[in-house]
Amino acid sequence: MKGKFSFGVLMLLSVLLFLSGRVNITSAVEGDDSKKSDKKVITACDGETKLVLNDVKSNEVMTREKAQEVASMLLATYQQQKKYQATKFTRRDSLIWERELKAMIEEGYKWFHDPSLGTNGISCDMCHPDAADTHPETYPKFQVQLKKIALLRDMINWCIENPMEGKPLDESDPRLKAMEAYIIWARANQDVRPHAKILNPGKR
Amino acid sequence: MPKMPSERKEEQYLKEREKFFEMLPKLNRRQFLKVAMASAAVALAKNQFPPHSFQLVEAVEAKQGKTEVKFRFAYISDTHLYERKLNERFVRAALKAVQDVNALDPQPDFVLFGGDLAQLGQPEELKLGKEILSELKAKVYMMVGEHDWYLDLGEKWMELFGQPWYSFDHKGVHFIVLNSVLVDDYWTETKMTPMERMKFMAQLDNPKGKPFTVGRGYGDVGKRQFEWLKQDLAKISKDTPIVVFSHSPLYKYYKPWNFWTDDAEEVQALLRPFKNVTVIHGHTHQPVFNKIGNINFYGMLSTAWPWPYAPTGLPKLTIKMNRADPFDQFDGCGDGTVEVLTNGKADKIYNLWSREPMKVSARYLESGGKEDVPPLPLDPSF
Amino acid sequence: MVVNIDEDKNKGQTMTMRRNVFYLILLFLGFLLSLTFITEKQAESNARVSYEVKIPLGIPRDIWEIFVPPDNPITPEKVELGRKLYFDKRLSVDNTVSCATCHDPKFAFTDGKKVSEGVKGQKGARNAPTVLNAMFYEEQFWDGRAKTLEEQAKQPIINPIEMGMPDHDAVVKKLKGIPEYVDAFKKVFGGEITIDRIAQAIAAFERTLLTGNSPFDRFIAGDQNAISESAKRGWQLFQGKARCITCHEFNRSNPFFTDNKYHNIGVAMNQEGFAELARKAELLVKEGKLDQRKLDELALNPAYSELGRFLVTFNPKDIGAFKTPTLRNVELTAPYMHDGSEATLLDVIEFYNRGGNENPNLSGEMRPLNLTDQEKQDLVEFLKSLTGEFPKDFPENK
Repeated sequence: MKGKFSFGVLMLLSVLLFLSGRVNITSAVEGDDSKKSDKKVITACDGETKLVLNDVKSNEVMTREKAQEVASMLLATYQQQKKYQATKFTRRDSLIWERELKAMIEEGYKWFHDPSLGTNGISCDMCHPDAADTHPETYPKFQVQLKKIALLRDMINWCIENPMEGKPLDESDPRLKAMEAYIIWARANQDVRPHAKILNPGKR
Repeated sequence: MPKMPSERKEEQYLKEREKFFEMLPKLNRRQFLKVAMASAAVALAKNQFPPHSFQLVEAVEAKQGKTEVKFRFAYISDTHLYERKLNERFVRAALKAVQDVNALDPQPDFVLFGGDLAQLGQPEELKLGKEILSELKAKVYMMVGEHDWYLDLGEKWMELFGQPWYSFDHKGVHFIVLNSVLVDDYWTETKMTPMERMKFMAQLDNPKGKPFTVGRGYGDVGKRQFEWLKQDLAKISKDTPIVVFSHSPLYKYYKPWNFWTDDAEEVQALLRPFKNVTVIHGHTHQPVFNKIGNINFYGMLSTAWPWPYAPTGLPKLTIKMNRADPFDQFDGCGDGTVEVLTNGKADKIYNLWSREPMKVSARYLESGGKEDVPPLPLDPSF
Repeated sequence: MVVNIDEDKNKGQTMTMRRNVFYLILLFLGFLLSLTFITEKQAESNARVSYEVKIPLGIPRDIWEIFVPPDNPITPEKVELGRKLYFDKRLSVDNTVSCATCHDPKFAFTDGKKVSEGVKGQKGARNAPTVLNAMFYEEQFWDGRAKTLEEQAKQPIINPIEMGMPDHDAVVKKLKGIPEYVDAFKKVFGGEITIDRIAQAIAAFERTLLTGNSPFDRFIAGDQNAISESAKRGWQLFQGKARCITCHEFNRSNPFFTDNKYHNIGVAMNQEGFAELARKAELLVKEGKLDQRKLDELALNPAYSELGRFLVTFNPKDIGAFKTPTLRNVELTAPYMHDGSEATLLDVIEFYNRGGNENPNLSGEMRPLNLTDQEKQDLVEFLKSLTGEFPKDFPENK
């Protein structure tokens, strides 16, 4: 009697489990027939927010305008679901920010290649072409040459004083910050901005 | 107390001896007889801790000839001199290299200067360099680098040192010196002044820079050089060992830093018919070595500063030195010697100033990096 | 406990339960026992630090503890025994030289001489380094050939030009003839006199010779008025233009002004013939020809001892290299360098200002500094601020 009852429960459980496996638990999917038709599905970076595009095939490459439309829709869907509002910015804002950043990095690039920071004709790019071997991502760290914890700008100043035999820059000197900006940018491997082609190692 | 070098050699000797006796049953009769005769010499040599007492077995089995050293030459490269009152350090380093070479005993057969004597090609810099190198006891063969050439397109260089490309023979080996830093004209259209042209070339990471060539470039300089090279090679037999000196590596390592010769394949094709070809180049300021086809390539050290290794394109055979200490002006720098062997190959010794010397042998390159692997030239810590 | 196995099932179950409980109790007792082991160890380490060694400001206590070896804990009796031995001239062959002869408390535990003098007026080749804070060195001696204070203590005793005893057995025999020592060793070590125990006693005493609480230590601790403006400028120069700090390392985790490494700054060039000897030694090593015979040949050269650290490691990089010494109390430990060749602090700074002495193995870290006169003075003022406090009960030659 006992044995038969437990067996039945077991059977029921396994059936339920089997069924649940078939059910597709997805979120924010427009229409459940995504698997059956050949429609493009765009997933946001959280891995959960999805958009099924009814008018775009899965292997189709969208035009820039269409892609921008889809991106905005995806972002809106994301914001709606997560109840999160990104800070609004205009196209003009974006232009200003990029232009300022480009100016700072280009100034840093200039000083990085300028031997006048030292007194013996050596410039930073002589040991660090394209900011190689600068490893800005490792700071703060114990810098063995300084024998204490250093930030990137401390090491820049040390290099100006030692191999370049110059006078270290003041902490508030814009040149110091510009070089720091250039080094971090050069080593960050983010080349998506339009002006990046000028400053990156180019074609010969 | 750590083991003295001779004690370490004793251990190594005993290890090799064990290996030797393990190998004996595997030799065929002819090989065995050769080894038996050689062993007597080895037993004698035992008392003096020779460095390679048991390599005789490999020598017998090797297809190539004996690996004795026929002669040696030294090299000093990439001094990048400024005028003394601007930069004393590079002068000091160049003098240190000269002292090192002068202290070699026995003296090398000659010294090769690997290019970039001056930093900005200025007459004072070139003259200073000539003065420093004149302290060398041995004969000096000069080679030009881009830092020497592009201020005045080689005028002062040719006045001081003669033709930038030439060849000579020495003890049965044919040496060729090339001007491998010829580039397309980038200054006429943009109306650059000579110093602008020089500074444009001097910036290693210049994104607009033009690639080096041997047989192309502005005017007809390259074409004439390439023609001369063809004719020069036509005069020698295919068995003659050749050593080529070029400033840039005669292969394609990393284009953004001009560790590159654009017509490398054409030059290599000219050299392909020859049995033993070694290329010694400067410009890279680091231990870098490669093998392509029949050619072994060795890069020279600089006396002035080390370049970092390029992010891509490093030859697989190269064993890298780790980063130099910027507090020590000699770390990562140095000079060295090349041993030309009786079998026509060449081994290179990197005399790294703040580290243990590093020997890279032809056997290492030819075995695809499996035999005679040089130890890592690590700096203990800084 | 006897278990009856041929009972019926129920009773068997109870018996199993009882057996399990028994084992559990055993386990618990064993656990309690193990706790006592831990307490014992702790008691030992407490003994290591319970002795009232006053650690001065500037030396973190946890760092001091690291440098006290577990096999030589410090106790008051051991320190007293060590002190007696330290000042005892009978440890030398003619009863004229003790440790304190060259490491004299009156001269900040050096002897104020260029090079030390041993028995029979023999002059050595080394300037006596101070014992103050010497426990924090990674290795002892200018060439680092002793790993510990204990090892160091054993060597001068049998050095023919220092204390001149023929060998360690002779030392032990001599001390065994002195009943006070026999008793003291029995009390402190619970046994006979051995050379290791002699060294341990002396080392334990030396580990109480600490100084700190210098004006600079107080400045680092936050007192802005502890050092003069000139010394503050000197401290900035020390870390910057004068390039001192990279070898004379100072930070709060390593407050001893030394990187514990070996550098050739060219002092060895004071000895004639050093440059040729250096080249010879280097070539021998690089060609794999250096063996005992060749080494003995080199030893005939008067510049031999200037090879320094090289004679310990046989690394060509160490030719003419000597240990970076501490700079604490440097004002009091003149003359300077391993051969005592620089008489004053200003001389030392002039030496570095010109980039040391050029020689084939000169460390690439050395170069002319172009210091102005004011800057040199500032550095001297800074160095003077490193003089620590001497406790009132500091040992004397009683």
